[in-house]
Amino acid sequence: MLYGIQDISRNILGLGSRPGRLRPGEFWALDNASFNVLRGETLGIIGPNGSGKTTLLKILNGIFWPDKGQVRIQGKIGALIEVGAGFHPLLTGRENIYVNAAILGMTKKEVKSQFDAIVAFADIGDFLDAPVKHYSSGMYVRLGFAVAAHCRPDIFLVDEVLAVGDEGFQRKCFDKIGELKKNDCTTIIISHNMHTISSFSDHVLLLDKGQAEYFHSPQDGIRGYNHLFSQQSNTEIDKNCSGNDSIQFVHVETSAKKLNPGDSFTFRLSYEAQSSFPDVEIDTAISNGSDSRLYFQATNRAFGRRIDINQGTGILEITFKDIPLCQSWSKIILAIWSQKRTELLFWWRVPVEFRGQAHASGRNLLDIDYRQEK
Amino acid sequence: MKNKCDKMDLDEASKKEKTHPPEIFYEPDNSLKNGYFTMFAEITKEIKNSRWLTLQLFKRDLLATYKQSFIGIFWVLILPLVSVLTFIVLNHSGIFTVGQLDVPYPLFAVWGLTFWQTFSTGLLAASNSLVKAGAMVVKINFSKKALVIASACQALIPLAVLSILSFLLCLVYGFLPTMWIILIPILALPLLILLLGLGLILALLNGIIRDIGNILAMLITFLLFLTPILYPLPKGGVLARISQLNPLYYLINLPRDLILFGKSPHWTGFIWSSVAALLAFLLCLAAFHLTETRVAERI
Repeated sequence: MLYGIQDISRNILGLGSRPGRLRPGEFWALDNASFNVLRGETLGIIGPNGSGKTTLLKILNGIFWPDKGQVRIQGKIGALIEVGAGFHPLLTGRENIYVNAAILGMTKKEVKSQFDAIVAFADIGDFLDAPVKHYSSGMYVRLGFAVAAHCRPDIFLVDEVLAVGDEGFQRKCFDKIGELKKNDCTTIIISHNMHTISSFSDHVLLLDKGQAEYFHSPQDGIRGYNHLFSQQSNTEIDKNCSGNDSIQFVHVETSAKKLNPGDSFTFRLSYEAQSSFPDVEIDTAISNGSDSRLYFQATNRAFGRRIDINQGTGILEITFKDIPLCQSWSKIILAIWSQKRTELLFWWRVPVEFRGQAHASGRNLLDIDYRQEK
Repeated sequence: MKNKCDKMDLDEASKKEKTHPPEIFYEPDNSLKNGYFTMFAEITKEIKNSRWLTLQLFKRDLLATYKQSFIGIFWVLILPLVSVLTFIVLNHSGIFTVGQLDVPYPLFAVWGLTFWQTFSTGLLAASNSLVKAGAMVVKINFSKKALVIASACQALIPLAVLSILSFLLCLVYGFLPTMWIILIPILALPLLILLLGLGLILALLNGIIRDIGNILAMLITFLLFLTPILYPLPKGGVLARISQLNPLYYLINLPRDLILFGKSPHWTGFIWSSVAALLAFLLCLAAFHLTETRVAERI
């Protein structure tokens, strides 16, 4: 608040606001982010949360000015950042279209000529004349996007707003973006979905903690992005449990830590059991590096295999066959429980790196057969 | 950190650039670079271009306020009526005497309130406009001046409604107002300009220091009682001297005098106040233009 007053006073008096200096409590949200985008190109902006992507988009949109450096833009900017800006719940869809379009910068003439196209795109039927507060969230987003998409901008800024909405809506969005690309519109997309980035972008800007790196090839950019996450993850094996009073897993061998897509991974466990454990439950899972979701999880019950651990010594070998992961850090998880999950006998998480495959941007690589017939 | 833009790409790009609209340029402390005259030219262009946006925003606020309440437009009448009734009761019971007036007290009060309500409604609406639209301001680049102007135009509602009410009340009392009543929009113009100027700067400050919105609401009520609107100018004392320097006193009293009596001793005061209002408006407009993006940083 104090800094706000300072800045305002200095601006009014015509003094510069000394933008190059940081005051206590401030930090550089973006630093050294330089890039060019030519007409018709699509730039994908990727980076971890908090790296400055939305800030960059706001500066391009003119919402606030940079404190260092400059921005040169030629052409009209349209933004798909806030869907349904200016929508008032009490107004009808029809009335809100006019308000939203005016806010997004369309002129009266443009709105009149595009009105039917907007209504057709939004596809909300009779609800057009009902107050917007009665709309479902999907209809709301569709209407908002319909107006924004018909802005006819020269430069289109798209923030992760495409994550909202069902599949039909997402497909419509991508179709529209594709259409804009064909009409030589310059597009800048922020997304966490690497597939979207690699399919739509011509070039990529990778942001991390405000620092930017420009990649001419999207694949390189995505590789850089994945690399950021791999640096953050732990490369130590989590040996959470290697046995209890009744059983000890004295020696555990695992396969190599660096694998190629399609390789198998084996746990070889040597145990000494003081009592027997019939029908143990073996929980196998694979987690993906940067997500917390599990790529795969199943117990031996799913495969119909019953395993009994008898008293005495023995060796248990569990193999994850032909894992189709690539270009990622994953954790391979093995847990062994007694019959009714009453006791935990073993639980390890092993970090494994799968090497990348050229021209593959996703993490999961299946074997695809290509055949042609005359 | 390299930018692999070929020289050939840049040449092609510059050929394409020639068919494009003029460029937008952002850099630190953007607005004062080109001097004050260019700044006013920018401001005028922006306001001219956002006429339709202003209209849409005004319509939206209007519809939103009155669509879902039965009372609707009548809500505009309630506060003035209550204030006038209070003063009539106080006057009757001798607690508070307004002295001799050449016109029935209710008419005096209600015409004063017509202009006062115009001012206060507009000022409050304008100063809260940026904060209310905060979510939009941070995400979309649109003309914030248009937003404040559209909100300030909310002042026109009380002006219209209360003028009609006051006129009807005049007929009830058998007191015919003069022809000046037709010129109400012009008489109210300096008042509107003053409220627009103050509204702009207060909207900006309110975005940064939220207390201002709350303090303003309180201050306005205070000001209503401290300015001779519901009562004539006191014969002497501190209040009299302050009021003679208060532009609101002239901007409200002159129209009232003209409508009720056809003449007024306040012409000089009115003209000076109008000039002051215009100056204030221009200064606040310039200040707003120079600092509006700071609001987006902190709202």
